[in-house]
Amino acid sequence: MIRLVLRYAALALAVVALNFGLPRLLPGDPLDAFAPDGLGPAATLTASARARLQATYHLDQPLAAQFAAYAGDLVRGDLGWSISRNAPVGQLIAERLPWSLALVLTALVLAAALGGGLGLTAAWHAGRADRWLTTVSTLVAALPEFLVAMALLLVLAVGLHWFPLQGGRSAFAGGGLLDVIWHLSLPVLTLVLATSAGFTLLARGAVLGVKNAPYLVAARGKGLSETTLAVRHAVPNAMLPVLTLFAVRLGQVLGGALVVERVFAVPGLGLLAFEAIQARDYPVLQAIFLLASLSTLGAMFGLELVYRHLSPHGH
Amino acid sequence: MRFAWFALVAVVVFSTGCALPAPNGQQPRPAGDARVVRIAWPDSGVLTPFRVSTLGPGGPVLLSLVYDTLVWKDAQRLIPWLATSWDVSPDGRDFIFTLTNRATWHDGQPLTADDVAFSFDYYAQHPYRWQSTDIVESASQLGPDRVRIRLKQPFAPFLDDVAGSVPIIPRHIWQNVSDPEHYTAANATVGSGPYQVAEYRSAEAAYRLVANPTYFAGQVMVDEVQQLNIPAETRIQALQQHQVELVQSADASVADLTRSDPRLQVLETPPLSIVRLAVNTSKPPLDRREVRQALTLALDRTRIAEVITRAPPIVGSAGIVAPETPWFDPDLPAYGFDPQRAKQLLGGQTFSLELLADPTYREPELLQPMLQAVGVTLNVKRVDAATRTQLLREGSFQLAEVQHLGIGGDPDFLRRWQAGTEANDFAQGWTFVNAEFSQLAEAQAATLDLAARKQLVDRMQAILADELPTIPLYYRRFYWVYDQQRYTPMNTWGGLMNALPFVQNKLTFLRR
Repeated sequence: MIRLVLRYAALALAVVALNFGLPRLLPGDPLDAFAPDGLGPAATLTASARARLQATYHLDQPLAAQFAAYAGDLVRGDLGWSISRNAPVGQLIAERLPWSLALVLTALVLAAALGGGLGLTAAWHAGRADRWLTTVSTLVAALPEFLVAMALLLVLAVGLHWFPLQGGRSAFAGGGLLDVIWHLSLPVLTLVLATSAGFTLLARGAVLGVKNAPYLVAARGKGLSETTLAVRHAVPNAMLPVLTLFAVRLGQVLGGALVVERVFAVPGLGLLAFEAIQARDYPVLQAIFLLASLSTLGAMFGLELVYRHLSPHGH
Repeated sequence: MRFAWFALVAVVVFSTGCALPAPNGQQPRPAGDARVVRIAWPDSGVLTPFRVSTLGPGGPVLLSLVYDTLVWKDAQRLIPWLATSWDVSPDGRDFIFTLTNRATWHDGQPLTADDVAFSFDYYAQHPYRWQSTDIVESASQLGPDRVRIRLKQPFAPFLDDVAGSVPIIPRHIWQNVSDPEHYTAANATVGSGPYQVAEYRSAEAAYRLVANPTYFAGQVMVDEVQQLNIPAETRIQALQQHQVELVQSADASVADLTRSDPRLQVLETPPLSIVRLAVNTSKPPLDRREVRQALTLALDRTRIAEVITRAPPIVGSAGIVAPETPWFDPDLPAYGFDPQRAKQLLGGQTFSLELLADPTYREPELLQPMLQAVGVTLNVKRVDAATRTQLLREGSFQLAEVQHLGIGGDPDFLRRWQAGTEANDFAQGWTFVNAEFSQLAEAQAATLDLAARKQLVDRMQAILADELPTIPLYYRRFYWVYDQQRYTPMNTWGGLMNALPFVQNKLTFLRR
């Protein structure tokens, strides 16, 4: 256990260093302001103003000094100040984190539940059900997420007006939780369609691997129902791969879902990261990458602990 | 097991829903009770002069609803605003403004000449990034309602560019703020404008501005102005579904909407947006004027404009200044589409050129065959804006496609581009060095006589047309689609502030 903790601690330190260095490998200057879609000019920047801003953000310092300042801020819990948005990075992330969680976490849970259930059904019943579910899952998995999002938007929002066009909630209209659920329905549905197929195929494979195991044959011989056999005996023994995929995806939650956030204008971390890349906003990029990396590390750490508990050979 | 999954899902949805920022506690107003105008536009940042977004022109436009300037513009001319009148000294260096005594800050304090003087002093220490005030030598209060602004030298664009776009800020709030870029107090957005900032949801880029009931310049007719971040792909649908009242489009085909929905109207702006090729004139073969002229003649710019804009084409003027604007010189040589003449100028040479272009630009696909026909192979390198800007600044380019605004207002932008004293994403890449042009550029900025200045600017345009340090491809209009039952926008003379083709002039919200 101690070795496990130390290994992950070392990984976390490496992540901090990488997150500092990676954004700086991008060409471009974070002090340049870029207007999108030919809507420049962006704001002007005289030489003296540029020098002042460089000093403010330590960009005139050697990399080692910049990293020292960054590490010192991290220890104090200060994620820095966004160059492009002129706001505290911690505030930007805190405002967007609930949207990413609501969107990605909800979709992940639903996708795992749906995909796991369909995979179990396909594997258990075999025959036509298996062929249909496998074919449909493969087709859905092959569809680009952007295409699915646009199709749902065009049909259900633009065409039928059943769902809103964009946003996480009605602007300034006093809506509550139901309003949020209504707004996030299409984005969540997009993500569920995009990710459930992976769970389906993985669950199907895992269940097929245990379906004809001796203990199941014995249990069937004892007269247990197929449902009991499937849910109480097959699933627990086949769930490790599904759990692994769930944990991997869980660790990616804080990376947001850029495509879906962009199409439906959900103000999540994915969109923030994309815009920060465009603007070369080092403090925002560092913070988001750090959060996403550490959450992935945390999920992997948790998964290793679960594996040790569930299976003597899990580690 | 099934119940456990259901419970987990319910917990996730409920808990994350509860974790979301609580919605505005106010109930939505009944449709007939309050007048609200909603505008679709991306994030504009925190609405102070020091934290407003520097990414795109939406920031200063929205800021103009919260703050006022000394002068303003209507559809025909410059008009008094905070300054009811002004006098200019014979040498053009002193501007003495007489201010209205009816203006107040949103917190009720009176706006005085002291605030105006303070503003310019403060901007000298903490620049307003959307308009340089470096030309100002000093600002001093002459009386409760009179202020003198002294310039370092005569500066013809002062009224239009500086006095007409620099927001006046309250001394009693900013005098003790040493770090305005990081000032986050609640009173940071106190201005004097027709609207006060009631709410800004930064994650959603949603603004709610409420009317200033004591606005000095007239009755504010629209109770609330909201700016909402709606993706470009769904803005028109949002307008059709009554979710917004004003959206912008670069596509002329939006005019078709008005035929199907009588509620909607389209307001075209003058062609204040330009698409051009930045040319690195410091490196062969583009250091030769004949080559640059040949490239221009090889391009069927009419067709390029037609294909891309799907609107009546407005071919780029070699003098850069946009047509339909006061400073445009219509007598410049027009480079038509003449591949034969282009080949003659190239003298049978063939060579390759590299063009930097954004991944979304479609023009390169049209440019390539046109240039290939005259023996020039165009290699297109797709780079994003940040990379392009760095390459332009370093001079590591041959051609670069740039698209931007700001070419229709005061022509002093021509001087600023070539002076190299400013850096922004379209002044980069200006490698042209011409002694006469530089002299004319400095002279026009200091020439207060309109006719004399026009002659100087015309000569500058003629030099640009002959030397072609940049190849203007075409101009674009903005198309603003609006719900005419709820709001009527307007075009501003020379564009809003520094030639911005935005139609939500604060005058459209007032009854005067």
